[in-house]
Amino acid sequence: MNLEHVVALGIVLFAIGASGFFIRSNTLVLLLCVELMLNAVNLILAGFSRYLHGTEGQVFVFMIMTVAAAEAAVGLAILVALYRLLGTLDMSRINILKG
Amino acid sequence: MIETILFWVLAAAAVASALGVVALRNPVGSVMALLAAMLATAGLYALMGAVVPALFQVIVYIGAVLVLFLFVVMLLDLRAPAAPARPAARAAVAGAAGVGLTAAAAWGAWKSFSHASPAGGLRPAPGVAEIALDLFGRHLLVFELTSVLLLAAAVGAIFISRTKKRRPS
Repeated sequence: MNLEHVVALGIVLFAIGASGFFIRSNTLVLLLCVELMLNAVNLILAGFSRYLHGTEGQVFVFMIMTVAAAEAAVGLAILVALYRLLGTLDMSRINILKG
Repeated sequence: MIETILFWVLAAAAVASALGVVALRNPVGSVMALLAAMLATAGLYALMGAVVPALFQVIVYIGAVLVLFLFVVMLLDLRAPAAPARPAARAAVAGAAGVGLTAAAAWGAWKSFSHASPAGGLRPAPGVAEIALDLFGRHLLVFELTSVLLLAAAVGAIFISRTKKRRPS
């Protein structure tokens, strides 16, 4: 287990999350893909913290976890409001911002 | 040796469950797959000696965020769509974009590794005391700002999801 392996795993997880963000059309799964991408970045930060023997990586992991929790709370609230308004969470059917 | 085996097992589990997040049709299945991915990531943190992030991953991410996701899935009574709403061509383009992103990121990482190799010795990982001193010392302002962020997010979530008035669609 070298730093290269950890970074490669993080890149693969981030790419899966990013492609899922474009492939899927369920808004809830889109939020899950965002969480997956944040998780991949956290993994890389923890890896650098391990191999450079610094504490900053783990401190940044905490900050990103906090931001992810805030993002999930606001995102899920928006999702509930959207479902109440439109009755669907399908991205291809949500087009109320279209001019 | 045992560390290497554990790393590959956990990495395979993380990648497989991440693929499950994208591939599973049912939103509950996606949330459960993300739970497995988070658990595998927590194991990887513990393997790298980052015990505190591993604990926070289990408590905060799995215990709070993913349970919140499950609550919303059950609240909204989401069903798996009968047919894929997006045409297969667009999904193929998106998949190709994902593969391209992976290749570009891997190329960038490879380039930076090739001319600046980090000191890759296995020194002991920073302990809880060091992290706490750093978090509450140099990063105290950022720490306090995150509490403001969480307060703003909680107030915003309540404000968005209140049911007093409905806007016409």
